[in-house]
Amino acid sequence: MIRHNAKAARWVLTAPLFVFLALAVAYPIYYGIKTSLQQRSLLDPVPSWAGVDNFTAVLKDTGFWHAVSFTLKFTVVATVFEIVLGFLLALLMNKHFPGRKKLLSFLIMPVMIAPALMGVMFRLLLNSDIGIVPALLDKVGISISLFSNDTVVPLLMVLDVLQWTPFAFLLFYSGLQTVPQELYEAASVDGAGYFRTIRSVIIPLMLPILFITGFLRAIDAFRTFDVIYILTGGGPGDQTTTVSIYIYKAFATGNFGTASAAAVLAAILMLPLVPVVVRRLAAPETKATR
Amino acid sequence: MTTTTPYAPATTSTDRPLRARKHRRPWWKTAVVLFIGLIINLPLLSAVLTSFKSDADISRSPLTVGLHFTLDHYRNVLAGTTYDFPKYFMNSVLISLGAVVIILVLAVPGTYAIVRLGFGEKHLLRAVSSLRLMPAIFFAIPFFLLYNSLGLYDTVGSLMLVNAFLNLPLAILVLAGALRELPIEIEEAAFVDGAGTYRTLFSIVLPLLAPALVAVSVLVFLFSWSDYLFAVILSSSNATPVTVGAGNFITSTGILWGDISAATVLSVLPPLCFALFAQRYLVSGLSVGAVKG
Repeated sequence: MIRHNAKAARWVLTAPLFVFLALAVAYPIYYGIKTSLQQRSLLDPVPSWAGVDNFTAVLKDTGFWHAVSFTLKFTVVATVFEIVLGFLLALLMNKHFPGRKKLLSFLIMPVMIAPALMGVMFRLLLNSDIGIVPALLDKVGISISLFSNDTVVPLLMVLDVLQWTPFAFLLFYSGLQTVPQELYEAASVDGAGYFRTIRSVIIPLMLPILFITGFLRAIDAFRTFDVIYILTGGGPGDQTTTVSIYIYKAFATGNFGTASAAAVLAAILMLPLVPVVVRRLAAPETKATR
Repeated sequence: MTTTTPYAPATTSTDRPLRARKHRRPWWKTAVVLFIGLIINLPLLSAVLTSFKSDADISRSPLTVGLHFTLDHYRNVLAGTTYDFPKYFMNSVLISLGAVVIILVLAVPGTYAIVRLGFGEKHLLRAVSSLRLMPAIFFAIPFFLLYNSLGLYDTVGSLMLVNAFLNLPLAILVLAGALRELPIEIEEAAFVDGAGTYRTLFSIVLPLLAPALVAVSVLVFLFSWSDYLFAVILSSSNATPVTVGAGNFITSTGILWGDISAATVLSVLPPLCFALFAQRYLVSGLSVGAVKG
C-alpha cells in the first residue's frame, strides 16, 4: 500500500537522519581509519603518512595484548556471574510475596546510576579509612588491602557484578512474566517438581532472552571504561587496563595515530560478532520481552 | 518499605497447617530480597549516609550512623564558591535534554520512512544494530580531532550532538519495534480518508507511538546523563557534566568525602527519579539497546 506521494515523502522524512548519520558516523569512521594510518600526535600535529606502522607498533606492544586478555577475562567472568545471579534473582522474584513491587524498583536502581558516579561511590565505600566495607572486614578480623595486586582484579569483577546483575535480572524478570501460568500448572500436573519445571520448561523457554542478555552484557563489559578508570586508572601498573583504557591512555598522551590504530584493532576484534547482532538484535521476532 | 501488603499473612488458620506454611514463606522471601537489595544498593546508601554526616563523624567511624545530622555538605556543593557543581549539573541537564530533542526530531520521521515507506528496512536496521559493537572510544578520537579543528571542543551543543549520535541506534531500534506493532490498517484508513503521508504521520501515528516516544526519551536521557568517556575527552571546563565533575572533586580539593557524597547523590537523583517514574518503559528499551560502557 505505498501511496503515490510516499516516494517524495520518504526522502524528506529520512534526509535529516541520513545527513546526521553521514556526519556523525560515516565521516568519523573514515577519519578514525585515516588517522590510524598517519603519524599524528600532539607534538607532531601535522599528519604524515605512516602506513601500517601504528598497527605494527600496537601489535608488538605487550601492553595491548595484556589489555585484551584482561578485558576478555573480566568480560567472561563478570557476564557469567551476572547471568546466573540475575536469573536466580528473577526466579526468586517471580512468585508473589509482600512488598514485591517496591522491592523490584529497589533492586533495579543500580541500572539507572551512571557508571562514573557509581565509581565515585565505590571509592567512598571501599576507602580504607572511611569506607564501610573495609570497616566491616576489619570488624570480622580481615585486614586486606582491597586494591592490592592480588585482590584488585576479583574486586573489579565483583563491583561489575554488583552493578549489572540488576540489569540481567530486569530482563529475565520481565521475560518470566510472559510465561503463561498454564505451563507451570501443566508441568505440575505431569508431576514435575519446582526444580524440574525450571530445568525442563522455563530455561528452554527463556534461552533466547538469556542469550541476548548475556550478549549485551558481554559487549558492554568488553568496552568497560568508566568504573575501572575512576577506581584504578588501569593500575596497579597496567594490571587492570582494559582495551578502552589502553586506547584512552594512548590518546591522552597525545599519540593519536597509535590510539586510532588500537581502536581500529579493537573494532576488528568485534567483527566476528556482527552476524550475531544482526540476527539476534535486528530481527523482529526476537523482541521477546516486549 | 516492605510492611505494606495487600493481604495479611494467613498464619491464623491453625486447622490447616499446609496452607499456613504456604502463606508464611513469602515473608521470608521479602526479607531475603530486601537484604539482596541492600547489598546491591550499598554504594548509594553509603553515599547518602555520608552526605548527611559531619566531617568529624565521617572520619571517626564509617559504621556509626551520623550523630550530628547536617546539611552543610549540600550547602557547600550547591551554594559554596569552591565548586562549580551547579554549572556541571546544568550542563548535564542541557546535554541530556538536548540529546532527547535531537533524537526525537531525527529518528521519528526517519524510522517511520524506514519501516512504513519501504526504505530498505532490513539493511538499515542491521547496519544500525551493528554500530553497537563499535567500541565507543573508536569514535571519541575522531570527534576530538574534528571538534578541535571546528572550534566545537568543550561546548554543550557539541556534547548534545555526540550523545544524540551515541543513542541513535537504540532510538531507531525501539521506534522500529513499536511501529511494526501498530496495525497498518489505521494508516491505510487515514489515507483513504484523504490524509497525506505527513498528515498521517503527525496526526495518526505519532499519538499511537506515545509510549515508545516516552521510552526513547527516558532511555536517551538516562544514557546521555551517564556518559563519561565522551565528556572526559570532549570537554575541559565549560561543558563539563556531573559525571566528570564528580570525579574532579576527588583530585582537585583534597578529599572532602562529605561534599563529594552530597554532589554524587544530587547527580544520581534526576535520572533515578525519571527512570523510576517511567519504569515500565525501561524494559522494552533496555532489551534492544542496553547500556553503553
